Amino acid sequence: MSRLRFEADRRVILHNVTVRYGRRVALEAVSGEFVAGSLTAVVGANGAGKTTLLAAIAGVVRLAGGVVNCAARHRLAYLPQLAAIDREYPLTVAELIALGGWREFGAFRSPGAALRTRATAVADTVGLAARLQRSIGEISVGELQRALFARLVLQDAAIILLDEPFAAVDAQTVPVLLDQVTRWHREGRTVIAVVHDLDLVRASFPATLVLARRCLAWGTTEMALPALAA
Amino acid sequence: MSLHALIIEPFETLAFMRAALVACLALALMNGAIGTLLVLRRMSLDGEVLGHAVMPGAAVGFLYAGPSPLWLSLGGLASGLAVAALGGLITRGGARRDAALVAFYLAALSLGVLLVAWRGSNVDVMRVLFGTVLAIDRRALLEIAAVSSISVLLIAALYRPLAAGAIDPAFLRAVGARAPYGALFSTLVVLALVASFQAFGTLLAVGPMLLPAAAARCWGLGAAVSMVLATGFGLAASVAGLLLSYHVNLPSGPAIVLTAGLLFGSSLAAANVLRRLAPIIGREA
Repeated sequence: MSRLRFEADRRVILHNVTVRYGRRVALEAVSGEFVAGSLTAVVGANGAGKTTLLAAIAGVVRLAGGVVNCAARHRLAYLPQLAAIDREYPLTVAELIALGGWREFGAFRSPGAALRTRATAVADTVGLAARLQRSIGEISVGELQRALFARLVLQDAAIILLDEPFAAVDAQTVPVLLDQVTRWHREGRTVIAVVHDLDLVRASFPATLVLARRCLAWGTTEMALPALAA
Repeated sequence: MSLHALIIEPFETLAFMRAALVACLALALMNGAIGTLLVLRRMSLDGEVLGHAVMPGAAVGFLYAGPSPLWLSLGGLASGLAVAALGGLITRGGARRDAALVAFYLAALSLGVLLVAWRGSNVDVMRVLFGTVLAIDRRALLEIAAVSSISVLLIAALYRPLAAGAIDPAFLRAVGARAPYGALFSTLVVLALVASFQAFGTLLAVGPMLLPAAAARCWGLGAAVSMVLATGFGLAASVAGLLLSYHVNLPSGPAIVLTAGLLFGSSLAAANVLRRLAPIIGREA
C-alpha cells in the first residue's frame, strides 16, 4: 500500500530505559533494538512492565532514566487496551475508522471521498462491511477491536504498537486481527505487540521480548520464550 | 382566554418580556451546542462548578462598581477562567477529582455570597444567585448576542477535535493534534456561563445549558441532531417558562429552568418506555 523508505526510520532502540511510578519501579534498565520491519511479541507476568514499555516507546510516559531512540515517532501508531475509548459517544463505525486519516484531513476539514473509499475497503478486509453505519456503542468488543485495527491501517504508520490486541476478543476475531498483523509485517512495518497467548506467540511472532520489569530475554521466539518459564 | 392572550399578548404589551425572550432565545441557540458537548464529554459536573466559579469574581465586580453588568461580567469571567485553569490541573480522574471540583464550587459560592452580603443587601444576594431575566437591558442583550454568536461559530469550527478528544484523547495526541482544545472548550463554557449569569444567576446559569442537552441525549441520536434537538428544547423551555411565570406570577428564571427540567424528565421516561416497547412493536431499539 505505501512504500516505507528509510531503513533507519523504522528501528526502535532502547538504552537503559527505566520508568518509575512514584517509588515503584515499573521498568528497569531495558536495552536492545527492535530491528526495522521486525514483528516482536512482548510477554511477561502481570505487572512485568509490558504496557509501560509500549507507553515509553510511544513517548506518553516520562522516563526516569535511559533513552528511547525512535526516529519515526511521528509515524508511530499506538493502540492501548480497549478501555480508553468512550463508546457512549454517538459515532458510527465508519466515522471511527475514518479518524485514522486525521493527519490527511486535519482538525478543520472532513474526510474526503478518497479517504472514505479507503475506509470502506479496509472495513471489508477486517469483516466490518455490514457494520459501517452502526454506532460504536452497539457493536461487540471484537468488532470494536476490528474497527480500531482498520483505523490503524488508515494511519499508515511505520511503527505499530499493540497492547494486548487479542485479549477479550471472540474466537472468530483473533485470526482476522492476526492476518492484519502479518500483512503489516510483510509490508515492512515494525510491529511490537503485548501478547498473553504463548501458543499464538510461537505460531505467529518471529521475535520475542520477555519482561519481568527487567529484560529477561530478547531474540528469536524459539530462543527467548523459554526464559519466561524459568 | 384566547390563544393570542395566552401566548402573544405578554410579549406584545411588555418590553421587558420581549427583552427577556430575545435574551433566552439567544442563550438557547448557544447552549444547545455547548450543552450537548458538555454532556458528551462527560463534563456536567465541571459545568456546574464553573457556573459557581463565576460568583466570587462577579462579587468583586459588584463591590467595585455596584450592580453594573459590565463589571459583574468582567469579574465573573476572571474568576471563572481561574477556576477552569485550576480544574485543568487536576488531571487524574475518579472520585478524588469529583471531590476537588465540589470543594471548589462550595468555596466559590460561599466566598461570593460573603462578598456581596458584606456591602450589599439581601436583594443583591438574591440577584446574583438567581439572576434577573426580566431586567435585561440593551447592553446586556448585546453582550449575550455577541457571546452566543461567537460561541456557535467556534463550536462549528472546533467540533471535530472536541469530539475526537472526547472519544479517544490519547489518539488525538498521537496523531499530532496537540492544541489545547480542552482548555479552549472550558473557556467557551465559562464565557457562556458569564453571558447567562445576569439572566439566571450563579445557581441556575448551568440549567439552561445542561438540561435541554441532557433531555436531547435521552433519545440516542447522533451528535449533530442532538445539538439541534437540545436547541429546540432550550427554545421551548424559554418560551414556556416565561409564559408560565407571567400567567401564574412565578419568578422567571426558575420557571424556565424548571420547564427544562420537566423536558428532561419526560424525555427520560418516554425514551425508556419506547425502548421497552421496541421489541413488542418489532422495531429495532
